[in-house]
Amino acid sequence: MKKTFYTIAIIMVAAVASSLTSAQDKPHVYINPGHGGHDSDDRNVVIFPFAAGDTAGYWESNSNLKKGFALNNCLRAKGYTTSMSRVSNRTSDDLALSTIVALCNSSGADIFYSIHSNATGVPSRRNHILGLYRGPTGAPVVAGSDILALRLMERLQQNLAAVWTSGYQIAGDFTFYPDWNNAGLGVLRGNHAVSMLSEGSFHDYIPETYRLMNDNYCWMEGWNFSLGADDYFGYNDFDKGALAGNLRDNRMPRTMNDFIMFGDDNREPVSNATVVLMDMNDVPLDTCYTDDMFNGIYAFKMLDPGTYKVKVEQEHYYSQTKEVTIEANKSTYCNFDLARVRETPPEVTSYSPVWHEGDAPLKANTPVMLEFNWDMNTEATEAAFHIEPEVEGTFRWEDSNYRMIFEPNDAYDVNTLYTVTLSTDAEHGGGMKLQEPFQMQFKTTYRKHLEVLDIFPHQGDMVHYKSATIELRTDSMLNNSYYYDKIVLTDKDGNALTYNRRNTKSGKAGEPFGYIRIPVASTMTPGQEYTLTISSEMCDTAGIHLPQTIVHKFTAVDAGVDKPDASVIEDFDDASTFAMVAQTEAADATLSASTDHLFGTKSLQIKYNADPSGMYHFTSNAIDQANISSDDELSIHINGDMSNVNVLINLESTDGTDYALVNFGKIDFHGWRYITGKEDVKLKKGKTYKIESIIIQSSTESPIKSATIKLDNLLKSQKSSVPGDVNGDGRVTSVDITALYNYLLNSDDSALANGDQDGDGKITAVDVTVVYNIMLGDDNVAPAFTPQPKPNANVKVGPVPSSDYIVASTNGYIQGVELYDMSGNLAARNGGNCVNVGSMRDGHYILKVYTGNRVSTHHVVVKH
Amino acid sequence: MKRTILSLMGAVALVVSAQQVAITKTTPLLQDGHEAAFYPTLNQTGDKLLYSDADAHGLKLLDLETNKVTTISNQNGAGYAPKWGEDGNVYFVTAQVNPENHLVYRSGLRFNLDSSTSQVLLEPQNGAVTIAAGTQGMAIKGEKRTFVSATHLGTSVYTQGSEIVISTGDKERRYSPVESHAGYLWASLSPGGDKVAFFAAGRGIVVIDLEGHIKAELGNYEMPCWYDNNYIVAQNASDDGYQFTSSQILLLKADGTFKHELTAKTSMTMQPTCGGGKIVFTTIDGHLTMLTLQITD
Repeated sequence: MKKTFYTIAIIMVAAVASSLTSAQDKPHVYINPGHGGHDSDDRNVVIFPFAAGDTAGYWESNSNLKKGFALNNCLRAKGYTTSMSRVSNRTSDDLALSTIVALCNSSGADIFYSIHSNATGVPSRRNHILGLYRGPTGAPVVAGSDILALRLMERLQQNLAAVWTSGYQIAGDFTFYPDWNNAGLGVLRGNHAVSMLSEGSFHDYIPETYRLMNDNYCWMEGWNFSLGADDYFGYNDFDKGALAGNLRDNRMPRTMNDFIMFGDDNREPVSNATVVLMDMNDVPLDTCYTDDMFNGIYAFKMLDPGTYKVKVEQEHYYSQTKEVTIEANKSTYCNFDLARVRETPPEVTSYSPVWHEGDAPLKANTPVMLEFNWDMNTEATEAAFHIEPEVEGTFRWEDSNYRMIFEPNDAYDVNTLYTVTLSTDAEHGGGMKLQEPFQMQFKTTYRKHLEVLDIFPHQGDMVHYKSATIELRTDSMLNNSYYYDKIVLTDKDGNALTYNRRNTKSGKAGEPFGYIRIPVASTMTPGQEYTLTISSEMCDTAGIHLPQTIVHKFTAVDAGVDKPDASVIEDFDDASTFAMVAQTEAADATLSASTDHLFGTKSLQIKYNADPSGMYHFTSNAIDQANISSDDELSIHINGDMSNVNVLINLESTDGTDYALVNFGKIDFHGWRYITGKEDVKLKKGKTYKIESIIIQSSTESPIKSATIKLDNLLKSQKSSVPGDVNGDGRVTSVDITALYNYLLNSDDSALANGDQDGDGKITAVDVTVVYNIMLGDDNVAPAFTPQPKPNANVKVGPVPSSDYIVASTNGYIQGVELYDMSGNLAARNGGNCVNVGSMRDGHYILKVYTGNRVSTHHVVVKH
Repeated sequence: MKRTILSLMGAVALVVSAQQVAITKTTPLLQDGHEAAFYPTLNQTGDKLLYSDADAHGLKLLDLETNKVTTISNQNGAGYAPKWGEDGNVYFVTAQVNPENHLVYRSGLRFNLDSSTSQVLLEPQNGAVTIAAGTQGMAIKGEKRTFVSATHLGTSVYTQGSEIVISTGDKERRYSPVESHAGYLWASLSPGGDKVAFFAAGRGIVVIDLEGHIKAELGNYEMPCWYDNNYIVAQNASDDGYQFTSSQILLLKADGTFKHELTAKTSMTMQPTCGGGKIVFTTIDGHLTMLTLQITD
């Protein structure tokens, strides 16, 4: 290869040298094939089968030189004299720009062509022609340079063997490169000839890259350059023409398709074809071949004007013949769309999923794949595809239509046997039909959607405004790709908050559940509402996605606000005073100081093993043992980690005869939170208590094995005397009513601080009414009933309000629903997931939803 | 690789030869609102400078003693490669595109400094036109017609394609001492009249004697000019195929044993010219600078 190249180079040197001494009958053209040397300022595009840097692969210097040789030969055949700045492709041929200009000027050239091709330099691709001349657009430094560029662009644009994404562009280099401060292109600067630089196509548009590997394609561009020169000088006396074209499969998509393609470039180019040029009596005149470089290009050069036949033959395609008319000094293009020879009927050669009765059921989003022995007629084959029970889905074709893939739009039904049938209406690209129907079956598993175990923030949560963390917990490992655009946190104006991506954590194989835990980099504004949106596209590693998009609204608060009415019992500034006094056998915990604090200088950090049976008791002799009575309540600041452990304080009466237990609830949150304790074991009136120990108690709901929480200021204050304040948070809200419901319906007293509102010594529906009336009376608005997080937060109930049916939905099986009025009386019961409220009175009700071994309660409104 | 080896050789030579180069004076030229200046050409005595614009449109004369600027020509190409004649006048070529046939026609002119007038010596003609400056006269050689100022030009050198043409007395000899596909450029006779420096595209600067024998190859630099009979100043530029990425001015010993960087690669200095012990060059944006050196052998 190199030897041949060098021989050509020697011939060209002789030609160039002779041109400089001959008399000129026609103009002198200086040809500058851009770049050279396969080095750093050359342009290498890596394409199969070549490795990066392989000089046999695509380099702009190679194709520029091929075009330059072609132009040189065409011009000489037309009587022009020429010079070339290089005739080989070594580093030494990569001449400096000022050298090229000087060579052109000294040659006495009338016009100067700098031959290049273009690249986007960005991931997007396009393919068009660009002509540049020196000066601002419309005001060339050397008169006529813009016309020279126009004439060339017109000729190049006529190339129908290429696929152009737009028309040509012509510009002055000062305008085109505004940042170059009018320095312009180096090969045009100081050039006396009418001059231009051509970017003939985009060499990083891969179908074009393969075309530029073809000698005939480059020859045609060189030939078109010569036509552009003729047009510029007004010559039309050359009596030869040229023919070129592109051979493509008439329907089969391109086999190599991992790059951007436009138009007909999507179809398979036909390589290794024989193209025969014949006279009208079918006498062969010339033969050329398409190469094996995936371009399908052929060309016949220097043809006499007249009418010819062009016959294309390739062993895998039906032969095709067309008539063409060649005109003098013009390019004629004749593309062929060839039909493949498909001699046998189509068959399904393989398929998936392969499932037999007794096999394990398949995941509910398993795609159906059918592989054929021929490229198929996609329209007919899709029409012949049936799946029973019927499923809406999308077809995808691969491997040049040899492989069809059906993907359900949503997951299949669970525990269902599906039958796929491909009828004999399916046909391949040649029109032959399937001989026998094809059938396959598979059965789906119980699982259809990704189940959410928990989301933080929960709906309606109050979240500390600094260093917030959001978390999605699911029943299987999440697909960690591209989830940042599927979990979006926005402020009230819809502006997205930023994440600390570097510290994002996610579940890994072997962990008990899937999760994504994302620290929020943005600081929120206390008092402002925020929205967490988790797209239904969120899926696990098996591709099972959420049943619907989840939206949680929550409010940012400052958990570190001073409480002037409370006294600090313990500030947790000195971790060294704390020690573990008791723990269960398998448990393991360490106590240390943390700089992440709300008050003082430090907080107390507890790292612990959240084993389900784990229990930790720790205390400090330094705790202010202020007498605590039944009129007091304890509050604490906790930085949580969603470990779902309970934090409690064990109190002992000062007389040593009694004890009490204050529960600060489940750590089902991230970040700092101010929590008022609830008395699990009540303090007795008339007695005083001291703090015995702080307790961390794991449970079966504690899914994190190694967890960390932090404690700051433990406070004592007088119990709330706000009428209607059931949960003791100092306010009367719908949360208080929900707390009463949960107690009345489920005996759940976890949020109950003071349920007996009417003072009758028991908690009944009357207490609910009292709180409700207080809410209306105080606020004069209907309460916004937003249930607190439920054991199963995935149960959705609606519509609210309802006039016909109230429907419950979840991603699992619903055993039944019960509707209670506000007095706790059963109003309706149904074994399904809905209840008819068409005949019920307007008002507020409670709906209990039974799912598996769980029950969740929901406030609903009936309104006709 | 070849360039690296040459550089290393230069470094070794530097130690052996132990020349020392000091820039004794740096003078910015054409300050105070003058337009950008390119293609500077000093006369033999270094007191007059020709220059042009970035596109070699027009030709101007700067008297370095009075700082007076005289416009010689406003025509296309006039500023590209003007020559100072032995008679102290300026010889230059202009290029015009004929709107009828779109061919480029080049004319040869002389600007008489005494009368401040230009005279067409060679009528417009198509094809290459080259000025050959002889020690006793000037020639403007066209492909169709040629002007000569005297019967005997003395010694003159010019390039044509891949040949260096050396005329001494009545003899004209053509040499191709090194292979160059694209051709030779920028030929000049040393002040002592015994050596010729030229540029061979793809090869670099070559120094030969008047019989065409290679005396030295100085490396792949451009636009050589004789600083004195032993030293040559040249441009060392690189580009990305579209625009310059670096350019500097080098001082090279004509026997190839010494190289010194007069400016940094990042200075974008280019187009050096020498005369009367001075060096003038410009920058990518047209700022002229004049240097004087002290070279200690």
